Amino acid sequence: MGVIPQPPVAACETRGSAIVPDVKLAIGVLLLLTAAVSCAPATGDATDAHGRRYFGSLAAPAGQVLRFNLGTEPELRDPGIMVGQPDGRFARMVFEGLTNADERTLEPRPGQAYRWEMSRDGLAYTFHLRPRLAWSDGTPLTARDFVYSWRRVLDPATASRNASLMYAIRGAEAFNKGEARDSAGLGLAAPDDSTFVVTLAQPTAYFLFLTNYYTFMPVPRHVVEAWGQRWTLPQHLVGNGAFRWTYWRQNDRYEFARSPSYWDRAAVRLDKVVAYTVDDMNTCTNLYKSGAIDWNPSGYIPSQYLPFLKGYADYRTGRFQSTYFYCVNVTRPPLDRPWVRRALNLAIDRVAITRDLLKGSRDPWGRITPEGYPGYVGPKQVAYDPVRARECLAKAGFPGGKGFPRLTILFNTSEDGRRIGEAIQAMWKRDLGIHVELMSQEWGSYLQATSTLNYDVARRTWIGDYLDPNSFLQLLVSGDGNNRTGWSNARYDALLRTAAGMLDPAKRFATLAEAESLALDQAVYLPVYHFSTTELVKPWVRGIYPTALDVHPLTHVWIDHDWRQHEPLAEGAPRR
Amino acid sequence: MITFVLRRVLLMVPTLLVIGTLTFALMRLAPGGPFMSDKDIPATAKQELMHRYGLDRPLLQQYFTFLRNIARFDFGPSYKYPDRQVREIILQGFAVSAELGGWALLLSLLLGIPIGVMAAVRQNQALDFIAMSAALAGVSVPNFVLGPVLMLVFALSFTWLPAALWTSPASRVLPVLALSVSYVAYIARLTRAGMLEVLRQDYIRTARAKGLAERVVVLKHALKLGILPVVSYLGPAAARIIMGSIVIEQIFAVPGLGRYLVVGAVNRDYTLVMGVVIFYAFFLLVLNLLVDIAYSWLDPRVELA
Repeated sequence: MGVIPQPPVAACETRGSAIVPDVKLAIGVLLLLTAAVSCAPATGDATDAHGRRYFGSLAAPAGQVLRFNLGTEPELRDPGIMVGQPDGRFARMVFEGLTNADERTLEPRPGQAYRWEMSRDGLAYTFHLRPRLAWSDGTPLTARDFVYSWRRVLDPATASRNASLMYAIRGAEAFNKGEARDSAGLGLAAPDDSTFVVTLAQPTAYFLFLTNYYTFMPVPRHVVEAWGQRWTLPQHLVGNGAFRWTYWRQNDRYEFARSPSYWDRAAVRLDKVVAYTVDDMNTCTNLYKSGAIDWNPSGYIPSQYLPFLKGYADYRTGRFQSTYFYCVNVTRPPLDRPWVRRALNLAIDRVAITRDLLKGSRDPWGRITPEGYPGYVGPKQVAYDPVRARECLAKAGFPGGKGFPRLTILFNTSEDGRRIGEAIQAMWKRDLGIHVELMSQEWGSYLQATSTLNYDVARRTWIGDYLDPNSFLQLLVSGDGNNRTGWSNARYDALLRTAAGMLDPAKRFATLAEAESLALDQAVYLPVYHFSTTELVKPWVRGIYPTALDVHPLTHVWIDHDWRQHEPLAEGAPRR
Repeated sequence: MITFVLRRVLLMVPTLLVIGTLTFALMRLAPGGPFMSDKDIPATAKQELMHRYGLDRPLLQQYFTFLRNIARFDFGPSYKYPDRQVREIILQGFAVSAELGGWALLLSLLLGIPIGVMAAVRQNQALDFIAMSAALAGVSVPNFVLGPVLMLVFALSFTWLPAALWTSPASRVLPVLALSVSYVAYIARLTRAGMLEVLRQDYIRTARAKGLAERVVVLKHALKLGILPVVSYLGPAAARIIMGSIVIEQIFAVPGLGRYLVVGAVNRDYTLVMGVVIFYAFFLLVLNLLVDIAYSWLDPRVELA
């Protein structure tokens, strides 16, 4: 969330010009070279014995050392208050929650808890912690640490931005919103050192996906209370995960070593992990190519590289739980009329945008929720239909676009944002006969405008927090802080509330699908495309798979120095 | 001399005050705030954060707090990286930027001045023409072009040097080169211009008439005055080069100070932006003072008053 898109360095074409003196020649040559750098780095590729091509250097590092790009510098290293993906990657190495995400499916696997039970009514979860758990400074870790840590997230004085993820717990919302006087009513209990009991306000089908999430990880009370806000500095921080944090220089790198106090230390094969914090996409892709890093995670390859990288064996893609859509401010006439919104929705040619403009690096998408929730069948996707779009606009009272006021499309400053905006502007003009303007704002101003409903139509992206359609459908509930359209629908709210209380997954998904269908028909969010994960992984790195949330536990990752003898991608992931 | 330095130091106070006030006003005029995000934040959390950093107080009171912070060079914690003090962030970034800039500056002087002197001595000859064409090219090629080209040639096509990062001594080479080329070129041009003017003056003719060797005339007598334009350029140039170049730091992933100004402004990290701006301004003022002192030492005609 909040990754600032990078403008591409140079255009891919350079036109020949009449070159007069040698100075101009020199500049011309330089420009051509830059174009070559930014377009297609075609030099230095390596090929293995099977004839597979790899992007750049094939010299593996010595020993069990993984070097990768963590991306943008994490802002916070406190799992209870952090938000954002790089921060989460840090947390997943240094801390461990009750459950762990499976490397491939992200399903909950035993972590600090070795087993758990759910009560018949789905309201109580009892977690049994492993014996002899300890923090990395040797202090024993008990169920009381979980009670403390979860209560801390919910305490308004902690100001945790992810606190709402815990609202499923009984009494949590009231306590976090300052409506309850104290935390006595919270459904958290530690009857003994190794038992942690959570009572929910209502059944929550995806609760065990939440316990994978970093917000639910324990923090060491004795360290937090000794150092306050500065407990997360390297000299103080104490964790309970597979790795220990050993070095940090802001905007440069983090280094980690295997933790000797981790319960499953025998299964951790990496001795050392170096995570660079490079946010420039061209730079980190070049670092990967030159062999300085072994893994360039998703989101850090310039979009113009993607079509070109498709032929390489170390380029991997998969579905990512994230969609790109336009949201409509329904408080502004004429956008308050559903027929107008439907017309706009039907007049977006998603295939043209993804195929011609984005060169196949994204998939066209006509739904709010992304694909890939086991068991969830979403409603039919909205498809491009200019004839019906015109009918809808006529029904709204603007036949042929006559009398339609001038709207503005808002996007945060970025090259892709502008290109997509221009394409949709042209489609709406061609198919509906309406004129819209484009407005680009830098990140802070854009956030201010969308959250205060000071826009007509705005670009947005949402990334799922947990593997359930609820992670997306929750957005459109009346008054939700992430709704940002002013749309409020009693039936939609009721459907989501009903679904939340359902224990039968089939019925619950059917109810959620009905809600999504309603929201799609009302055309509040106009879906455009579905994101994919796009990452580069050197062939000797084993145990990193594309996952739906782009979450990659490194606990079992290892460096295969005999990778040339093994079948490439033997454990690997399906590639599309 | 002492009164001069004292007066200049005292003058820094109102200058910093004006710069600080302008930055404060500009930051607060920008829409949004430090605790906005793509994902909604619970209202209680936002309130708590605003309260924790004093952003719920009247603006005037915040302004006075900020002035007090300037005086103590302590801006409190960064909003974006709350476990660190702005001061720590600045000093850590500055150490890297100063190293990068220091090497680049040294290289610029070591190459730029001799090239300029040689070009001046051989005015309108082939060497002069070649040197000045190269300098023109050096000044004209922006470093966001030069950086990727150097990386392509030396790190990706020939794997002689690291592509980026700030780790081994070898990793310093490309960013230092990319940063210094335009300064080499500019210093060479300034030196040449300065030398040409000095070489025509009477005291140089006298020195030659005395029968001094040409080498002594040029290096001992002419150079001292000839590089005065370089010295006056050095103040702002050194400030710029040592405070970090956002472009070079971005391309070569150098963990310097340059990026914080941009990142801080985008994130509305008020304390970080204020800290970096004030630090930069202070540094520039000090360097300008040093330049003036160096001037009087190099040119006896200049009197500090």
